[in-house]
Amino acid sequence: MNSLTVIREFLDGRLGVPPEQVVPEATLAALGVDSLMMLELVFEFEDRFGIALAKDLKSPKTVGDMVALMERLRSEKS
Amino acid sequence: MSPRRVAITGLGLVSPFGGDLADFFARLLAGESAIRLLHTNDLPRPLSMPFAGCPGFDAEAALGRPLAGMLDRFAQLGVAAAFAAWDDAGLPRTAQGDEREDWGVAWGTALGGTMAYEKGYRDLWQNGRERLSPLSLIHGLNNAANAQISIQLSLGGVSMSHTVACASSSIAIGEAFRRVRSGEAAVMLAGGSDTPQAYAVARAWEALRVLANADEASAPYCCRPFAADRSGLVLGEGGAALVLEDWEHAVARGAVIHGELAGYGTTCDHSHLVRPAAAGQVRALRAALADAGLGTADIDYINAHGTATPEGDPVEIEALRSVFGDRAERLAVSATKSLHGHLLGAAGALEAIITVLALREGAIPPTAHLEHLDPACAGVDHVATARHQQPLRAALASSFAFGGSNAVLAFRAVADQP
Repeated sequence: MNSLTVIREFLDGRLGVPPEQVVPEATLAALGVDSLMMLELVFEFEDRFGIALAKDLKSPKTVGDMVALMERLRSEKS
Repeated sequence: MSPRRVAITGLGLVSPFGGDLADFFARLLAGESAIRLLHTNDLPRPLSMPFAGCPGFDAEAALGRPLAGMLDRFAQLGVAAAFAAWDDAGLPRTAQGDEREDWGVAWGTALGGTMAYEKGYRDLWQNGRERLSPLSLIHGLNNAANAQISIQLSLGGVSMSHTVACASSSIAIGEAFRRVRSGEAAVMLAGGSDTPQAYAVARAWEALRVLANADEASAPYCCRPFAADRSGLVLGEGGAALVLEDWEHAVARGAVIHGELAGYGTTCDHSHLVRPAAAGQVRALRAALADAGLGTADIDYINAHGTATPEGDPVEIEALRSVFGDRAERLAVSATKSLHGHLLGAAGALEAIITVLALREGAIPPTAHLEHLDPACAGVDHVATARHQQPLRAALASSFAFGGSNAVLAFRAVADQP
């Protein structure tokens, strides 16, 4: 599963955001992701891909930023 | 600031009956029980107990998916009840300006987020997880319901939770009442919510040997307060909320006033954790009457705590006999837990709503299944079948908690205003 699909599934299940709105240029805040929900999303990624994000991680602004970050961490792990 | 009168302008609930206020009260008057046998698949031993649950409660429908996902079940039940009360009061959910900066919430819960913590224990110890969801703590907070109510309704004043076992929401209502009466807040939302569906919580109640015995067929009839053949109390879940409002504020905005909250008395037995004492209850009853400026001759109905335990029921009637003296024989008393179960931290608020509706509608719901009165509970006018067309002027609702805390609320009918 790719990172974009993880974000789409999470936002659909948690907030009811239609997957077609979750596009790379969309800002996470505009989709309803606050600081607490960012923790949930990070938790979801860590669980799914067995990666560990740094505690002082700078929060990505857009869906595209988040996808890029996750893909980089996954490739570093592999 | 001079004392103000306190109007009740909003009533809302999520009850084991499902449905709205009118439906709820109609079912009580019809003597319909919401109690069923609950079966679970829990290990090491499945639960099987009579229970007044809310299986039809759809948190996502009531709250929306984002908000529902932020809350443990007790808080979902509570916020949904609060929304219903707020809507009933005719108040918009969003503030128009800064008029709500002094308005607040007082919320009761005996158990709080126990389901959230139990899920954590299960995940860590049973399901092989090494860590918990970041929302675990948020879900588990005992002030989760009142905090979220404050956020959702833009209430900038006090937001407090009261954990006083089975008197939690009566005390929340009483403390909110004092704030409105003193002029500190023009509006307070007060109530409570609870669910005992965490497995360890249900088993803890079971261990105390106070729960009613029942099978599938007898479950609806197994909660029999004041009866010689009672077998114990029945746990329930739900949420109930009242909007308390400065009388003049309510009149000025053209609000419908359901009744008046006129007095509140709270005491502690200071004697034993689980064995109630009549003396403490007597002091609470007298304090509520005095606070309301009501005499014993003014009270036409009492919604009793009446949990259907052999320890509690006779003591409660003894306290009523002591306070009401010769008049006790003509004092209409009913314990509606026989129909809706014991909602723990929501019980006081649910029964406050029933008392307000009784005064408003002139109708008294019964203590169901009271065919054989326990002689130790004699001495008051037990309402064993619903009474209609009753000219009720004022009423009391009692909550007596483990820990010895007692709370009594005194209500006056709108038609009987001085």
